[in-house]
Amino acid sequence: MPDTHATIEAVSDEALARRIASGPAGSTDVEESELYRRFAPRVRFYGRRHLRSEAGADDLAQEVLLLTIERLRAGEVQKLEQIGSFILGTSRMMCHSERQLARRREALVARFVDTSVEIAPPSLSALDSPRVAACLRGLAERERLVLLLTYYAEREAPRIAEDLNLSPGAVRVIRHRAIARLRDCVMGGRS
Amino acid sequence: MTAPGCDRIALADLTDYAAGDLSGAEAAAIEEHLFSCADCAGRAAELDALVRAIPPAVRSADVGGFVTDDVLNQLARDGVHVRTFVLSPGAVVPCAVWDDDELMALRLRANFGGASEVTMSQRVAGKEVVRSTGQVTANSGEVIYTVPAAWVRELPVVNVEVLLSTREEGEERTLGSYTLVHGGALQR
Repeated sequence: MPDTHATIEAVSDEALARRIASGPAGSTDVEESELYRRFAPRVRFYGRRHLRSEAGADDLAQEVLLLTIERLRAGEVQKLEQIGSFILGTSRMMCHSERQLARRREALVARFVDTSVEIAPPSLSALDSPRVAACLRGLAERERLVLLLTYYAEREAPRIAEDLNLSPGAVRVIRHRAIARLRDCVMGGRS
Repeated sequence: MTAPGCDRIALADLTDYAAGDLSGAEAAAIEEHLFSCADCAGRAAELDALVRAIPPAVRSADVGGFVTDDVLNQLARDGVHVRTFVLSPGAVVPCAVWDDDELMALRLRANFGGASEVTMSQRVAGKEVVRSTGQVTANSGEVIYTVPAAWVRELPVVNVEVLLSTREEGEERTLGSYTLVHGGALQR
């Protein structure tokens, strides 16, 4: 018996979109889930940047992918080889019409895939607070403070620079180094 | 789809993107690439997971270290119980943590002059238990150091000596010394 999971992961984005577009309703659940698995993290990353809200980014990822599947099924995506661009364009459009999200949610969720599937990358799916806290403690004070101000207090580089008597460029350099060290610590289990 | 092993977008660029510190054109270029490249999208998702893990870790009050009012205000908005002690140089202050305290914040006031960095040393029963160097916040007249309340609860009834210093032209200059008379953990 073929390993469907392994097989579907090898399919290109374009082929995946083509299968969803051409398959009878209800016959492409595996392809729809795979499309969601591939692109929902990207939309969420995009959403966090533009909406500054974790919940808003989660909603955006769900809505964009559900709408994409809807448009694929309806034959409304013209260039299937550019499905990524279509999803990005949809993300941009929906970010600007955030108020439409709630209205569409109920109708779409009832019709398509289960969007509660795990989408965290496998290598970081086991992140837990004690481990991350230990790694944050292991950073230099200045690196930790810049990360806290950026990703907890949500301050941008110019404001942090002003508060800490640094240049915005220095703040960015400190943040680059801090993120790399935090990532190495979390991934390597070192603190 | 790009070739396997693509690393066109560096972690530093993704970090700036996630922090909102890129121009519109730079951000758009990164977005265009992420939506067509599985490798870079995978690294972006890893960074996203890492960044999203920071707030819960901070809210757990298990991190500590130098902070600013922006961080303390966010902790307050998140409902974290912070017990604050404001200390001027030479102060001797009774101190205790209650059972619902999660974090202890020391506001250490001093005349910082032109110092940009300070070193804080904590001694318990004559032994240095913490030594940490942090950034002075502009125009505040104080630095804020936080300690997980769980750590403070472990202390016996003892005096904690805090020394704040800076380095000027290679010499260490004391900015202030402070004494916390720790009375132990209290229950309401």
